[in-house]
Amino acid sequence: MKAWVLSLALCFCALPAAAQMAERARRAPVAGIDLVTYHTDVKDVVVLVGAMPAGDAFASSGNGAVPTLTGMMLDRGTSAQDQFAIARQLEDVGAEISYAVGPQSLQVRAKCLKKDLPLVLTIIAAELRAPALAAAEFGKARQQLIGMLEASLQSTDARSEEAFARAVFPQGNPNRPHTLEELLGAAKAATVDEVRAFHAAYYGPAHFTLVLAGDVALSETEPLVAQVFAGWSGGQAYREGAGAVAAVSTAPASGGAEIRIPLADKTSVSFLLGQATDLRARDPEALALQVGTAILGDGFTSRLMSTVRDREGLTYGIGAGLFDDTLTAGAWQIDATFVPTLLPKGVASTRRELQQWWQGGVSEAELALRKRGLIGSYFVGLSTTTGLADRILLTIQRGYDLDWLDAYPHAVDALTVPAINAAIRSHLDPAKMVMVEAGSL
Amino acid sequence: MSRCSLSLGLLSFACAALATGAAQTDPVQTGAVPMRVPDGFAFVQSLGGIDEYRLTSNGLEILLVPDRSAPVVTFQVTYRVGSRNEVTGTTGATHILEHMMFKGSEGYDDARGNGVKQYLEHVGGEYNANTSVDRTTYFATVGAKDLEGYVAIEADRMRRLLLRESDRQAEMTVVRNEYERGQNDPDNVLIEDVTAAAYVALPYHHPVIGWLSDIEHVPIEKLRAFYDTFYWPDNATVTVVGDFDTATILQWLKKYYGVYPRSPAPIPDVYTEEPAQIGERRVTVQRSGELGSVVIAHKVPNGRDADQPALDVLDAILSSGKSARLYRALVDSGLALSASAGTDLHRDISLHTLYAQLAEGATQAQVEKALSAEITKIQAQGVTAAEVERVKQQYVAADAYRRDGTAGAAAEINEWIAVGDWTLYVRFPQLVAAVSPADVQRVTRKYFAPDKATIGWFVAEPPTEHRP
Repeated sequence: MKAWVLSLALCFCALPAAAQMAERARRAPVAGIDLVTYHTDVKDVVVLVGAMPAGDAFASSGNGAVPTLTGMMLDRGTSAQDQFAIARQLEDVGAEISYAVGPQSLQVRAKCLKKDLPLVLTIIAAELRAPALAAAEFGKARQQLIGMLEASLQSTDARSEEAFARAVFPQGNPNRPHTLEELLGAAKAATVDEVRAFHAAYYGPAHFTLVLAGDVALSETEPLVAQVFAGWSGGQAYREGAGAVAAVSTAPASGGAEIRIPLADKTSVSFLLGQATDLRARDPEALALQVGTAILGDGFTSRLMSTVRDREGLTYGIGAGLFDDTLTAGAWQIDATFVPTLLPKGVASTRRELQQWWQGGVSEAELALRKRGLIGSYFVGLSTTTGLADRILLTIQRGYDLDWLDAYPHAVDALTVPAINAAIRSHLDPAKMVMVEAGSL
Repeated sequence: MSRCSLSLGLLSFACAALATGAAQTDPVQTGAVPMRVPDGFAFVQSLGGIDEYRLTSNGLEILLVPDRSAPVVTFQVTYRVGSRNEVTGTTGATHILEHMMFKGSEGYDDARGNGVKQYLEHVGGEYNANTSVDRTTYFATVGAKDLEGYVAIEADRMRRLLLRESDRQAEMTVVRNEYERGQNDPDNVLIEDVTAAAYVALPYHHPVIGWLSDIEHVPIEKLRAFYDTFYWPDNATVTVVGDFDTATILQWLKKYYGVYPRSPAPIPDVYTEEPAQIGERRVTVQRSGELGSVVIAHKVPNGRDADQPALDVLDAILSSGKSARLYRALVDSGLALSASAGTDLHRDISLHTLYAQLAEGATQAQVEKALSAEITKIQAQGVTAAEVERVKQQYVAADAYRRDGTAGAAAEINEWIAVGDWTLYVRFPQLVAAVSPADVQRVTRKYFAPDKATIGWFVAEPPTEHRP
């Protein structure tokens, strides 16, 4: 096994995208922003990803829809130009900019040709720093958000995810979402003044990470970022510790609960089973739990797919993973969909596989094969500029140095069966897991 | 929404130099390095960085796209068989067969520990398969050193699939689960119903996944017959994109695929033709939901037709970005949450759709009227030169984007293979570059007559069950 990993590393080390990645990346504070630039061999293409702490958790006790509404207002004009003038400039050169609001972060993504990077950075800076936040546009954004939330009310996936997260994350935890109905009410009550206040309070460079990857010239990128973001201030830190969940020895409030959400006219049931963990992705035992979980539920050869789908034909898709653990302790869950008539059998099979995995642990053979697969897919994922940029941002958000980009395969290779099985037993307990079913039950 | 991946992908097509070549013998120029064509292969042409070969013993088509910017390779096999080749009683058979292709072949089987899923997951490959109306495709992106192992497995299952009844039984319920997941989404049901109404004779009438009763009852013998009819080298195209050596990959293809003969019988084609539509058609989906939606569909020519570039420019003008006409007329005005236009390109007659999801307070009639009004406006007044130029510039950028990674390029080539001419992967952007505003107006007038429309409404009924 060791020999294989070495040969794989040699194979990839011959190529620039993966060779000593940390050395190829340049990371420096620029205009108060944590800027990472990474030059690859792709011609003309530049990918930009960035994140700042301005997600839903920052609504605190205020209006829960305001962070999302603020994000939705960013591409609706700036103090200098209306949204259509900006859109025309981008579309004229085939450039793309988008924003998304998550539990903790506002994320910005962009793709453009190398020659258009100054234009794209100028627009992003203007949209982040000085969005118009006009009342008329706010009304349209609010109407769109209300529509999207109403549509989600009938989504089995959205309803099950909301119920699960609310069951396992306590009040005050940044991962605990509002209910869809609470958000609907909040969206209807939100005002443009609240959006303006939120923007003023939370948007700024202080904890903003920006990654530029692709055909970027390091000598040009930093001065450009410095220029367009010059004089910008503000920004607040991520809420890392707030409402952190307890270790598994003290069960979450809803431990062992079964939540059923009836929805009419649904032909497929969304199913979730899991619990909060006390682990962040960068915690020492987290990688062991991730790899052990991959053996249970990542891919067709995982235990869940090979039995519940392949052998028993009970589902189209089932998997297990760790979620929302980038910035704070997250959750572990199995997700699947079942036809209503196969739901009881599907749940029984899933619980059986979970119990066997939890009690018996993983085997040496499983771990050897999984290590090889995880390392291989890691490098395949880095073969596109987008994949590379996303990995760099995730690495920083998880609190690692960029050295982790090179260290990850070695860390996976160093894992042992006892370490993985200990992590499974220490951080999970099937008896305390929450089960959610949403659909026509 | 059944948004065609091809019509989305078209935005990333290159404006590479056209270099059509007749079949030629050695030496040939592959990428930058001249080489002799190995024995057993015919060099067909090189176009836009893609080298086309034919395995002479059995007619296997091969497209090689060298790209050494990363140490990975995407290997893809496209079989020219899709739901268009199905008839009553076997709808969905193509797709079930796609699933069965992962159940083991004579040389590679999970029970022996060397199945395709096991191999690809053990080497960290990204892989999948999918089925459309016109083709079935298997593909994986792997490290360059792991390519030969995948080629061997992929070739083995071309003609040596086990197709066990016990596997069919388990997989039938898997596919049934997949079917029901699709039925969960009212818009998915709506587009299926609109498609079924738009096509009367062509087999595009039925959904790719098939009708539920056929999924549940199709016998293994019919799947076997389907496999033995269509899974032959002369009905397939191998596409390889990424870090490989041409001589080596050709050697592997000969070694693993050269063992098969051509199909013993001609691959059957579809001879059915769609009769002309003689009046507007309407369908309604009524079920629980919060928001309604509207689809307006028109039949347009096959994907190879000379009018498709102008139709593609029309779609971008209607729905690409915030400058697009549908965004301004429907979304910015508050009538819709989203609006789009696109064409599902087919080997035979294709389907163009306008789609909008209603905003709160809007009615289907209002949204339908607004969608139609944008078409009418273009029919009467045309589009501007600036709008057409904007779309062309987007193609230029997309050309660079599609060179970033191997899987995306392979997927786009795959869709052009499906419609019957892979060279459109290279030529389509050039054809778009020649489109004029007058062309856009002409095709809008030609294909979007109201009496040729098939209109679908999803009418959301108040949920009968709600929060516990």
